Amino acid sequence: MRKNLIFLLSALILMAQASMAQDLVLKGGKVLTVTQGTIENGTIVIQKGKITALGRDVLAPPGLKILDLDGKYVMPGIIDSHTHIGFDDTDINEITDPVTPQIWMKEAFNPYSDSILKNLAGGVTTVKTMHGSANVIGGVNITLKLKYGKLLEEMIIPGVRQQLKLALGENPKRLYGKEKGRMPSTRMGNAFVLRNAFIEAKEYKERWEKYEKDKAAGKRGLSLPKKDLRMETLNMVLEKKISADCHVYRADEIVWVINFAKEFGIDLKQLSHCVDGYKVADIMAKAGVAYGGWVDWWGFKEEAYDGCPYGFKIMYDAGTNIVINSDGLEEGRILNLNAAKVLKYNDIPEEEVLKMITLNPAKALEIDNRVGSIEIGKDADLAVFDKHPLDSTSKCLLTIIEGVIYFDYAKDSITAKGVSHD
Amino acid sequence: MTKKTYFFSLFFLFFLVFLRLYSEEGILIRNGTIVPVTGKTIPNGCLLIENGKIAKIGTDIPAPPGAKIIDAKGFSVYPGLISSLTAVGVTGYPGSGDDLDELSISTAQMDPYDALNPEDDCIEVTRIGGVTTVLTISGTRNVIDGKSVVLNLEGNFAEKMVIKKYAAQIFNLGAITSDKYPTTRPGVISLIREKLNDCLRYLEMKKRAASKEKIRGEEEREEWFKTSLEMEALAPVLNREVPALFITNDEVTIRNALQLMKEYNLRGILFASADILKFAEQLAQEKIPVIWAGTQTIPKQWEPYDLNYHTAAVLAANGILFALEQYGWGPESRNVRNLVVPASLSVAHGLSEEEAIRAITINPANIFGVDDQVGSLEVGKIANLVIWNGSPIQMRSRVQTVIINGKVIQLESVQTRLRDKFERIIKDRMNKK
Repeated sequence: MRKNLIFLLSALILMAQASMAQDLVLKGGKVLTVTQGTIENGTIVIQKGKITALGRDVLAPPGLKILDLDGKYVMPGIIDSHTHIGFDDTDINEITDPVTPQIWMKEAFNPYSDSILKNLAGGVTTVKTMHGSANVIGGVNITLKLKYGKLLEEMIIPGVRQQLKLALGENPKRLYGKEKGRMPSTRMGNAFVLRNAFIEAKEYKERWEKYEKDKAAGKRGLSLPKKDLRMETLNMVLEKKISADCHVYRADEIVWVINFAKEFGIDLKQLSHCVDGYKVADIMAKAGVAYGGWVDWWGFKEEAYDGCPYGFKIMYDAGTNIVINSDGLEEGRILNLNAAKVLKYNDIPEEEVLKMITLNPAKALEIDNRVGSIEIGKDADLAVFDKHPLDSTSKCLLTIIEGVIYFDYAKDSITAKGVSHD
Repeated sequence: MTKKTYFFSLFFLFFLVFLRLYSEEGILIRNGTIVPVTGKTIPNGCLLIENGKIAKIGTDIPAPPGAKIIDAKGFSVYPGLISSLTAVGVTGYPGSGDDLDELSISTAQMDPYDALNPEDDCIEVTRIGGVTTVLTISGTRNVIDGKSVVLNLEGNFAEKMVIKKYAAQIFNLGAITSDKYPTTRPGVISLIREKLNDCLRYLEMKKRAASKEKIRGEEEREEWFKTSLEMEALAPVLNREVPALFITNDEVTIRNALQLMKEYNLRGILFASADILKFAEQLAQEKIPVIWAGTQTIPKQWEPYDLNYHTAAVLAANGILFALEQYGWGPESRNVRNLVVPASLSVAHGLSEEEAIRAITINPANIFGVDDQVGSLEVGKIANLVIWNGSPIQMRSRVQTVIINGKVIQLESVQTRLRDKFERIIKDRMNKK
């Protein structure tokens, strides 16, 4: 009897899992694969949340739910590798010390935050939501899918390498030097704080290694080293279990931090708010670090004065991995419109521009093996638009993550809901 | 040839050269789609500019001798876009500070004209983005902020740029402070009432002081009438000569703005970044123009995601005169060129493209009383126009030609110069390797 019950329970759990991983067929759409051009009147077959078939003449396996897109555009779900959604305002910066790697942003994330729903309405499926830029070394960010209402554990992409937030330039200078009267108050101070922390982390590791060795050798009277959570995280960075994203504006600091990362063996995956990136595009390309930033923001502070929307062509030609980010919900809802701005100022092919909000951020987040383009075997993370997403009068109609519809214009729009204001 | 005829011929030649150099020869735009905004679109049309003004619009205009010809084949000609609340010209260089928000809670007498810098980098960046005319303000952080001016973004001196001085007085109904009066919104509206009451009394005193009648206590006259520049700045607002532009950010501040307009019989303009739909009927009835800057405002938790994207369509359906604007001003307003973003988003969510373009051209011109000079392509208006390779509300559309005050503008800015410099530097560096 008991055996039967266990069997029944496991069967139920298996069934529940099977229904979560959705099966769906999208047909009749203009499929912007991003890697293999556009498939007119294409069909996408989704089984267990993955794309299992794709093309013009694909037969849907019988029994699957079919959605006719009637000529609408399907693109890969938009990926935003720099935002701050899902946190209370007071949880974004642990503004008590310029070095806080003991902070894990997953311990502040609210899976029921309204910002997730509003971000989904812009076609966004994956984000890296981050610690702020107050500290030279901030917290560990989280890369997750916007599966609204699910547990955080289900939203985080399995096996993804998370990134530590670093910040240089004016923000730490202002928030510590000017407002708190302590180090750092200069760019030299920023450099010192960063270098010093990683030297400390190396020595911390040596101390522990020596202790473990002596202990194993049976030495007596050893003093037990203290656990330091800050140093533990930094050592995960040195061991490449965590990579890094650095907030940096000015060209000289971009070069400085690339050299610093090389010196310490840190995997620097993205430079954020990188407005001067175009000035050192070749150096960033060689270092394999992504440009993350806005398209045309400039002049809102001194270190942002040289922001230049024409710089995208320079970076594109130099082979830099270009990523367009939102920095928050406001722009995060219209990343496709931001991508269209690139075309205004630069001669870059449309498909390459679409990559800047899909495949390129997937690369910067090291998840391009599962998301970022519409390909067989990848996760079925998709956004359906009524017009071409680079048409700035287009709007998102459906946002799908692993075959599950998380945003549906027909249900969530004010016009569909018929909310009256009379 | 006699010596006399020789000198005469020489003189005549110089005269011709002089004429050629100094006369304005005009510009003829041909083969373009002319979108006048206030009239019917003319496919394959022509537009002639003479003496800085639009001289003719039609389909077959012969080129006057010496006119510069611009072939607009495949392109569209629109009036220059107008941005309704900016700091263009007073933004300054970050770090060295801007010229906004003079210290005091009421600075009605502040005039951005007095700080206007024609070399502001923001001017070039803005105009090559298709925005040719802006309202520049003196700040928004005070309760009564100051005057504002309408500028064309061309000219070496402030007086060449300004097309309307004192276009509106700016009030901010949400400008509470943390430590001084007023720290609440009822405090803000009271302060405005006190200032307007002071001004009414001031005007009465001024009238008495100026009258020839013998006034009792002659020797006291000096004491009870002193010129106040602050009161002088508020007087035309009370007289309805100058509109009062009320910055609001929610339902309470909108309600308070409407209350003040009624109480003091002001010519009000409502600048709103949220919560406007509830008032649509009243605004339509009372014919209060609106600057809707909330398209990109994130709706509240309980509101539908597209409430603010959809708002402009509702304003239009109610027949309200409205201009579209971005939220944000001051140092952030350097991206005035993104004026088309709220237009695009509104069109995606129900506004017609024609209405959207009116909301960034002729409507703001109407609101600030400069529609006789700018805002559409009409004969006699200032030649402010932009040739685009597509619709201005498409982010990807590019500006081909900008003409302001009848002058063709170089498509250059601090950003094109940075591009040229670093394109070269990186090419050199990559070639060396």
